[in-house]
Amino acid sequence: MTVLVVSNIDLTTNLQVMKPATFLESTIKEATLNINNEYRYLKTGYYVSMHAEILGNRVIPSCENIIDSSRTPILLLRTAKAGVPTLPVVVTDSVKKIISELGFPVMLFAVNPFIYDGYKVAHNKSALYRAMKSLSMNYKFAVCAQPLRGEIFAVKTYFGKVLGQDLNTRKIAEKVYKTFRIPLCKLYIQKTVDKAYLCGLQPVNKEELSEQDLQIISKEVLLISEQGEAFGV
Amino acid sequence: MSKIACFVEKYNFTDPREEGALQKFKLTAEKQGSEFHFLFREDISDVAKYDAVFIRATTDPLNTAYVVSKTAWELGLKVIDDPESITICGNKIHQYALFEKYTVPSIPTMFLNKDELHHKKISDIFDALGKPVVIKAPYTSFSRYVEKAACETNFRDVAKRFFKKSDVLAIQKFTPTAFDWRVGVLNNDILYVCKYMIPKGKWKHGAKLRGKPTVIWGRTVSMKRQKMPVRLREVALKACSVVGKGLYGVDIKEVDGKYVVVEVNDNPSIYAGYEDSMDHDIYQRIISYLSD
Repeated sequence: MTVLVVSNIDLTTNLQVMKPATFLESTIKEATLNINNEYRYLKTGYYVSMHAEILGNRVIPSCENIIDSSRTPILLLRTAKAGVPTLPVVVTDSVKKIISELGFPVMLFAVNPFIYDGYKVAHNKSALYRAMKSLSMNYKFAVCAQPLRGEIFAVKTYFGKVLGQDLNTRKIAEKVYKTFRIPLCKLYIQKTVDKAYLCGLQPVNKEELSEQDLQIISKEVLLISEQGEAFGV
Repeated sequence: MSKIACFVEKYNFTDPREEGALQKFKLTAEKQGSEFHFLFREDISDVAKYDAVFIRATTDPLNTAYVVSKTAWELGLKVIDDPESITICGNKIHQYALFEKYTVPSIPTMFLNKDELHHKKISDIFDALGKPVVIKAPYTSFSRYVEKAACETNFRDVAKRFFKKSDVLAIQKFTPTAFDWRVGVLNNDILYVCKYMIPKGKWKHGAKLRGKPTVIWGRTVSMKRQKMPVRLREVALKACSVVGKGLYGVDIKEVDGKYVVVEVNDNPSIYAGYEDSMDHDIYQRIISYLSD
């Protein structure tokens, strides 16, 4: 099986890599591996997967998974089904509801068309009101709240692999990749003494990609394009 | 007995005609022996307590409504609008690409990528589609984010604005008509038919008066679905078949005796005394579909 690699990142392999703009103009019918630092809805990374799907190509990642992984409540619902440890979730625009169902401290993610990175933490009522006002864009949208039980870590992951992390974190990254097949992303994970919980998934900035990261990504891309197993037959 | 949640936002109740329709849905459900509750944003987490979800708040893959729809879907509930329909209808680029693939008769369309906004490409577009052209952002709804451009300067202005949110835009041949057909479809079956009249001197159903922020809407003239032209029916059902099996409002233009699809909308407007005025059973049919 041949795999077409479409990437907006300069990989360090000798593999033939196509630029997203070139692919969008093409009608190549091959399994498509879409490498992009950000798979945001309506951005080029999304349109590459969409174009591949319209052509009838098998593609990593799929449009459905791009959308779902960026909507925190759906990310957590689907990964929890796959056995990833998650915390209770409340989706609402009501501060009262968050306090009565989760108490303090809480961690909040935006669920709206405009905010796609970062999160907020609130330890008391006034901080929660401030965080809600900003993440709900003045109560125009709901937010996704989870209790804060440990320390929050942002972990870059490539094809489900992470560098220098504990076993719990490695397992989470692997399962998230199995569920959503997002090649490059950043996971937000809460760690307690003996447990780790998935809290969110966001794009990686290009500047955050180190030489070493690029090498790992390139190696994985090479493996997938040689084996094609990741596309599942 | 089925428990139906109707996901709404406060704005769904600002127009009495829409509120009227929502109350009719509730009454109809209760008459059929189902429970019907309005579910607001603060109580989204309660979705799991229901058997079916009917979304009336504006849908988009980035809106809260998508989260409600996908959650319901994952939990195995019956849902209108389903997540796939939201994804295809919420992105007109996706939809037009499907129309092309499955040869749905539609308005001539070209796609423009963000890095193609240069003189040659723009002249190619004008050569192929004529002047003016219609520029559409993928997330258009209620006639918003659809603008005309007759020259390169104007084209660039509009495109630059729309490119802020989407890296691809749709460019269509300008096709003015006195009205758009609006065909309501549920589960591959015609639900209602009307004509959305274009306000005089304008070119889209919802148009702004010069220099004023308020949008004026053309009249809605409905007709009995049995009386609709056969070819119109075929085109409407064909367009929906590439999207899914949910509830849609298909916009179709009649050009030189031929029917061409403008777009398929999920989450179509249903206003009491408008879409329902000839075929009164639309409430029963939607509720039955949800509680089945």
